[in-house]
Amino acid sequence: MTDTSMHLTTDEIELWAQGLLPAAQAMHLADCSLCRTEAERERKVILELVQLPKFAPSAGFADRVMAQVRVATPSGDWTTT
Amino acid sequence: MFSLLYRMVRDRALAEDLAQETFIKVLNGIKSYRPEFKFSSWIFKIANNAAIDHLRRKSIDTLSLDGAPNAETPEQMRATSLQLGDRAESPLDEVENRELGTAIERAIARLRPEYRSCILLRHVEGYSYEEIADTLELPLGTVKTYIHRARNELRGYLEDRRD
Repeated sequence: MTDTSMHLTTDEIELWAQGLLPAAQAMHLADCSLCRTEAERERKVILELVQLPKFAPSAGFADRVMAQVRVATPSGDWTTT
Repeated sequence: MFSLLYRMVRDRALAEDLAQETFIKVLNGIKSYRPEFKFSSWIFKIANNAAIDHLRRKSIDTLSLDGAPNAETPEQMRATSLQLGDRAESPLDEVENRELGTAIERAIARLRPEYRSCILLRHVEGYSYEEIADTLELPLGTVKTYIHRARNELRGYLEDRRD
C-alpha cells in the first residue's frame, strides 16, 4: 500500500517532467503507480508544448511598423520615420 | 511575441495587426517603461492585453451558429444562421490550417484565453511562474492554478483524440 502523504504535488510532477526533481523525491515514482501514471501523462503534454514551433510575421513587417513610429527630430519635434 | 499573438487569435493577418499595434505602443511609449520590469515581459504584457481585448470584442460580436438570438421560427433561424461552408478557403487559410492544424494547436485553441496566455508563456516562451505573474499582473497562485487547469484540459483533449 502506497503512503498517500508521500504523493508528488503538481509542482513536483512538473519538475520531474522537466528532469529537475531531486533524486530523493523522484524515487517515489518507482514505488507509486498512481504518481507514475500522472507524471507520464503530464510529461507527454509538456513535451508537446515545448516542441511547438515559433512563428514569424511575414516579410516587410518591421518596415511597416517603423513607418508608423514617431521619432524625435533634433529640434525636439516628433515625426514618423 | 508574434507566436503568442498568432496562437491567441489564430489568424495570421490579425496577429500581425496586433503585433504592429504592440510594437508601435512600445516604441512610442518607451518613456513609460519601468526598468525594474524585464523589457520582454513589458512587450508580452502589451501584446497579451491587445489579444485579450480583441477576443473580448469578438465574443460580443460573435453570431450564434443557430442564427440571431431573436429568431423564433425555424425559417428565421435558417435565414440568420452562419453558413460555415460559404467562404472559399484562401491561400492564407491554408497556411493557417497547416500551421495551427495539429492536435495540440487545436487543443490550445479550446482553452480559455487566460489559460492560453499562461500556458504559452510557461511552456513555449519558457517563463517562470513569477515572471508570468508579473507580466500578466496576476497573483502567483492564480497563475499556478491556470497553468495546472490548462494542462489538465489539454491532456483531456489530447487523450480523447487518442481514444
